[in-house]
Amino acid sequence: MRTRLDACLRAVNEVLLGKDAQVRLALACLLARGHLLVEDMPGMGKTTLSHALAKVLGLEFQRIQFTSDLLPGDILGTSVFDRDSGQFVFHPGPIFAELILADEINRATPKSQSALLEAMEEGQVTIEGATRPLPEPFFVIATQNPVSSGGTFALPESQLDRFLMRVSLGYPARAAEKALLLGEARRDLLTRLQPLLEQAELLAIQDAVARVRVSDALVDYVLRLAEATRTQPQFAWGLSPRGSLALLAAARAWAFLDGRDYVIPEDVQAVLPTVVGHRLRERADATGHGGGALVQWLLREVPAL
Amino acid sequence: MSAKPGIPRNSLIWLLVAQVLVILPHLAHLPLWIIGLWLGCAAWRVQIFRMRARYPNSWLKAALMIGAGFGVYLSRGSLVGLEAGVVLLIAAFILKLVEMRSRRDALVLIFLGFFAVVTSYLFEDGLLAGLYSLLPVTALLAAMIGLQQSSLVTRPWPTVRLAGALLLQAVPLMLVLFLFFPRLAPLWSLPQPSERGVTGLADHMAPGDIARLGQSAALAFRASFDGEIPPRDQLYWRAVTFERFDGRRWSQSFASQVPQEPEWEPAGEPLGYSIVMQPSGQPWLFALDVPRLEPGQAQMMADFHLQRRQPVNQPLLYRATSWPQARREAGSAPRSLERALQLPEQGNPRSRAWAAQLRRSARTPQAVVDALLVHFNRQPYRYTLTPPPVGTHIVDDFLFDTRSGFCAHYAGAMTFVLRAAGIPARVVAGYQGGEVNPAGNYLSVRQFDAHAWVEYWVAGRGWVSVDPTFQVAPERVEQGLEQALASEQSFLAEEPMSLLRYRDIGWLNEWRLRWDSLNYGWQRWVLNYRGEQQLQVLQRWFGRLDGQALGLGLVAAVALLVGVLALLLFKPWRRESDVQQRLFQRFERLLARHGVWRQAGEGARSFAARAASMLPGQAAAIVEFVRLYEQQRYAQQPAAADELARALRRLRRALPWRFAQPGERS
Repeated sequence: MRTRLDACLRAVNEVLLGKDAQVRLALACLLARGHLLVEDMPGMGKTTLSHALAKVLGLEFQRIQFTSDLLPGDILGTSVFDRDSGQFVFHPGPIFAELILADEINRATPKSQSALLEAMEEGQVTIEGATRPLPEPFFVIATQNPVSSGGTFALPESQLDRFLMRVSLGYPARAAEKALLLGEARRDLLTRLQPLLEQAELLAIQDAVARVRVSDALVDYVLRLAEATRTQPQFAWGLSPRGSLALLAAARAWAFLDGRDYVIPEDVQAVLPTVVGHRLRERADATGHGGGALVQWLLREVPAL
Repeated sequence: MSAKPGIPRNSLIWLLVAQVLVILPHLAHLPLWIIGLWLGCAAWRVQIFRMRARYPNSWLKAALMIGAGFGVYLSRGSLVGLEAGVVLLIAAFILKLVEMRSRRDALVLIFLGFFAVVTSYLFEDGLLAGLYSLLPVTALLAAMIGLQQSSLVTRPWPTVRLAGALLLQAVPLMLVLFLFFPRLAPLWSLPQPSERGVTGLADHMAPGDIARLGQSAALAFRASFDGEIPPRDQLYWRAVTFERFDGRRWSQSFASQVPQEPEWEPAGEPLGYSIVMQPSGQPWLFALDVPRLEPGQAQMMADFHLQRRQPVNQPLLYRATSWPQARREAGSAPRSLERALQLPEQGNPRSRAWAAQLRRSARTPQAVVDALLVHFNRQPYRYTLTPPPVGTHIVDDFLFDTRSGFCAHYAGAMTFVLRAAGIPARVVAGYQGGEVNPAGNYLSVRQFDAHAWVEYWVAGRGWVSVDPTFQVAPERVEQGLEQALASEQSFLAEEPMSLLRYRDIGWLNEWRLRWDSLNYGWQRWVLNYRGEQQLQVLQRWFGRLDGQALGLGLVAAVALLVGVLALLLFKPWRRESDVQQRLFQRFERLLARHGVWRQAGEGARSFAARAASMLPGQAAAIVEFVRLYEQQRYAQQPAAADELARALRRLRRALPWRFAQPGERS
């Protein structure tokens, strides 16, 4: 199975050049049954990444472009009166897909945002009194422009918490960008990508990831990290238990991608910036979010052993 | 130099303060140039700190050292002995100030300071001195704290507060040690400072000797009675008797220093009391007639005085019971009578003639004594501290010409006349009276209470004490020396600062008595809490126990305490589960010795990768150890400590042997 995963990674890396680490993190996020938030400036390859992942993993893909006039019904679907049968028939919205790309999520109003976010958390949607399950697996890759951009509704902390990871793609390296400029159009490459995993395989991998062993000593490390965020003065607030769980789940997926069936502190450290960064805020920094410096502090100061 | 940690400003400040505080109580017995030396060295040190001066080079250091040695030799006449030793210690303590460069030097200086504080107890161990020494100890502690880098490093006040808090926290431990630690006798005899314990009765008496003592307000001893303090005129504290007269001086006879208790029978009510004696440099103890001590303290000599083997060089506490109405050697004529009749062959012819005449006119020896007392009472004798000089026939000149003298003159003259008249008699020297301290209900006896009186032997009654001074100056016995000398204004004329001169100022006197009482308590309960005293107190609490049991108990208690601390520190109940962790720590220490330190946040695998890149020759062994460690610790494979230990041994063998990281200390 791991060879298949490696093949998936290679395939995505061929499309998204020079972003091996982010691709790996994104894959780990999906394997850990988490949702991914990609935050970056427009044009950095956010959409390409999610397209490529969907293709390679053989997932049914839907894209929702969030705008300020988007309504919850546009996401979840609505019941329409069918004249032939004389009944209301439910027309599922784009959310009923295996992989959703929620593009520019922070441009929509909070009402629409929360419609998506509730679905993400519960794996089901309730429309007009009827509860409908979402497909399995169900991933959301949301992208957002940096907070400072105009015309955005920043996601509140409670909703940021629903994303397992927040990655930022960043500018490509010079060599990667040169290859990008000289190579084919990305769109053509995407269409040529072949699915490399069956749906059943993906579910089996997800189960295997959940079974990756976590020892007492490692849990102690995660607890020490959480403890540090709760006691140290520079943290505006501490990591929630959901945060600790997310950290452990992501670390499991990372260890699995690394070919191990047990987690070591390095796995936790590898996923720590993306899992914890958007859940923390520096006390001194009252407006912005993003605890980059805090995460570095955690990596440096919290005893790993 | 630059690599070593220097001495922080905070520590230097407290070191300088501590030096002043340490040296201050020593000033009384230090030569004056020491002050100059300290000022010079302190200024130099401060200039070094401000980078305006350099450290002395070796030549200068040698010159300073030799100079200080010469200074001690010139001012004390020796380099050995207690006083010279202390001056040398203080000089070294001061000189080290300019020489100290590293933290280690400063620590040496601080420990020297603690030692110098202790040496000051050799000269003065009163309550005030004890309390004062808290100041230098606090300052030294503050200097020690300041020496360690901490957030306090630039603020002197929090440092000294911390030092004070530490001292306070040490109080319970101090009390426990005070109560239980066995007081060991010194392994070598400690020389006494020469200016201490000098005043007091000597083993001989020339007429002016006791008068000289009358000028001193130094304390001789303090006595607490079990019941009421007896009236003054019954407080005749015997120290020694003088039986030999050579025409000028009275002295002890050798025969009276034989430890052989003379025959006596108790009569009347006994008096119980305890005495804390100041160091006298003499072996005898003071007691009222006729005393019995607890065994082992001292022995009664043939002339009823108490004597120990060694001189009293430290404050001494003893309990005594006295029978004032006891009959002494009342039976058959004792052998001591022969000594009590000794007179020089010649001299004092007028006194001898007068004695013969008295003996002829009186029918009994008692009548001779009475006649003598009446003579002293009726004739114009004068009691004075400053009698006029006398010629060769000192008894004649005193009895018939000058007729003025101190107690020693009267006692000596009366003994002489009694002996000349054929009545056995001897001079008794000791103290008379004492000052009652109402604050503590005890008696302070000072050197100016020194006194001499007479005892004579009559068949059937034994030895009888009589005080000729009482006939001349009854107020001496009834009220004390001050009243006896009221007309002369000579009381403590040489000690204008003595508070005893101002006893008529009410509040001052009360304050003095209270302070005296405090000091007495200090002496009795703190300084004298050793040996027998300590055993008694502990026996009262724990039943029978001896020094050995006490020592064993103390060792056991300390072992228990250390054990509990070790348990809390090492947490052996955690060890078993953390056996891999322990081995990993050893692995870390091993690599640290080769210059690879793990960061706190560094996991085992990344550390191993880094170490392997720094020590490529041993990379395989390092990676193998960490692989095993990870397997056992994170993959939840069965813990196999021996396997891990073997991997560690392999790594150790692969690495060159090293005790410490090179460059860590230079």
